[in-house]
Amino acid sequence: MTPFEVKDCALLARMSGLPPAFNLRELRERIAVCGENVLFHHFCETTLRGTFDNPDYRNDFAVWSKLYLGDRVLAERLGILDPYAFPSLGELRAATLEVIDEQLGESTMIPWARTGDELFFVEATMVVFDTGMRISHPRELAASIGSMTGGSVYFHFLEARRRPPFGKDDFTAWLLGNDAGEKNRPYIEALSRIDFYFHTLPHLRKELIKVLSALEDTK
Amino acid sequence: MSAPLGAYEGIVGPAVLRQLRQLGEKLSGTRVVHVNSTREGGGVAEILEWMTPIMRELGLDASWEVIDGNPRFFEITKAIHNGLQGANVAIPVKGWKTFEDVNARNFKRLRPILEEADIVFIHDPQPAHLLRLCERRKGKWIWRAHIDISRPFRPVWKVLRSMVEGYDASIFSMAQFAQPLPHPQFLVPPSIDPLSGKNRDLSHAEIEAVRSEYGLDPSRPLLVQISRFDRFKDPVGVVAAYRMVRKVAPVQLVLAGGGATDDPEGKAVLEDVLEAAGNDPDIHVLLLPPDSHKTVNALQRMATIILQKSTREGFGLTVTEGMWKGKPVIGGDVGGIRLQVVNHHTGFLVNTPEGAAHRIRYLLHHQEGLDRMGATAREFVRENYLLTRHIREYLTLMLVTLRDTQANVVNV
Repeated sequence: MTPFEVKDCALLARMSGLPPAFNLRELRERIAVCGENVLFHHFCETTLRGTFDNPDYRNDFAVWSKLYLGDRVLAERLGILDPYAFPSLGELRAATLEVIDEQLGESTMIPWARTGDELFFVEATMVVFDTGMRISHPRELAASIGSMTGGSVYFHFLEARRRPPFGKDDFTAWLLGNDAGEKNRPYIEALSRIDFYFHTLPHLRKELIKVLSALEDTK
Repeated sequence: MSAPLGAYEGIVGPAVLRQLRQLGEKLSGTRVVHVNSTREGGGVAEILEWMTPIMRELGLDASWEVIDGNPRFFEITKAIHNGLQGANVAIPVKGWKTFEDVNARNFKRLRPILEEADIVFIHDPQPAHLLRLCERRKGKWIWRAHIDISRPFRPVWKVLRSMVEGYDASIFSMAQFAQPLPHPQFLVPPSIDPLSGKNRDLSHAEIEAVRSEYGLDPSRPLLVQISRFDRFKDPVGVVAAYRMVRKVAPVQLVLAGGGATDDPEGKAVLEDVLEAAGNDPDIHVLLLPPDSHKTVNALQRMATIILQKSTREGFGLTVTEGMWKGKPVIGGDVGGIRLQVVNHHTGFLVNTPEGAAHRIRYLLHHQEGLDRMGATAREFVRENYLLTRHIREYLTLMLVTLRDTQANVVNV
């Protein structure tokens, strides 16, 4: 079996250069023109970013709509968007704009935020490096994930879905690529059952360890 | 002196340290120079005191240089500092000339190390002019703004901007604090050192010694605000909130801070606070010397609730420190406090003394919630606001700056 190469990543956020949004119309305008990296940051990299909050929603647009525009309906509609369920960031952008356009169409006034509550558009650079750790058998996965950083968990289980093979996490891709006789099927199915988008990274790591350890316990 | 990296393993776990060492290996031998204007006192010196030795331990060739200046220079840089935070200050042309001359004098001394460095971090405005003087620089220069310059007094920012726009990149603590500049603006929030005198674990005896020194009653709830005696920290508002709570609960209040002796404004605020406190034996106004780290640590640890009722604030590291002690925080709805305090989660944001009083009473009635919020707050700090995260972001920033500041992904 080809060993699984454990990588790690570290994120560095930077200002996108876009002006901040003070109201819903400006939010729409910025989302329409921002780079895909900006969109990805506000939808997906929130998991890896330091925060004191454990917000109701995992994307910044939904959180901002709720907290600062005071629009709970919009927040709910944006909050349920799962970026990993879209084949591309372009389609995620289109879906996000559709939700906002619908809300703008229904509103008699444009919701706005106070000065100081504006939304800043940020993007990030991800530095990726090899940890030197290797996993040579699926039964080692749970223990290995237990000793990984949050960066490794994010890179292999979440960010991986952005890379070929698109939509697949690295563990599943490795298990599929080394699956003589479908022996890895229980691991692949266990990983596919995790509703990962709504987990924080520490919770996601615990969930991964739990489902993979459960397989070993039943053997 | 800061602790060696290994000392943090019990707090953050081995994986976090392994990650730092692996990032450090990629930068092994990189010549890094930090420049600021003071070796002691203030948040920047505190950061550099631990960051420089840890960078060295990780294999970088890191050094920390301090520029010298005369009293006139520091009067001007204080005015620049206030101007960047929005104060209407007049800095005459000859004031800027003094600023440049002092930078030039320091450049003569620092020239070899600055010219040879791979990366130079210039902290805050005081040494910002060095870049223009270092024409034969080889490395990347990064300006680190530790303060909120989102609403500067424009004439001051106009001059400083002309000095910092030539840098290769800048760093701000929060997006809300930044100004548009023609280079990448990275975001790196500050952090606390869990092993420093202000934050290390204290023994029961150490805490009790401080309790006894200030005559605090262990059987009654204690409210603590640690901050300079500054109007923006609203200590008089805290006394007002205390009085509202005191009518129904036997609370005690500690307002502790330093820095009033050489600051006329601070002295006036302290007098106002003492007047507001009157002769209430349960209000303890403590003017502490700058090295009272253990006292501050003990006061935060014996607090029932931490207050930081600021009306204007930077990041608000005293909030982070309070949270690290497992306490919920009632904080003003401003600056970085808003990032840290989340209602019902790590504490409460308030806008008035009435709001603070209401939330103090709420927490005193919900002991379980008080404990839960304190525990949550501590874990958030552990994950995100300890120096290990801070150093990781500096290492990442250096790797990015030496390769490609616009890339989405950098493989190293």
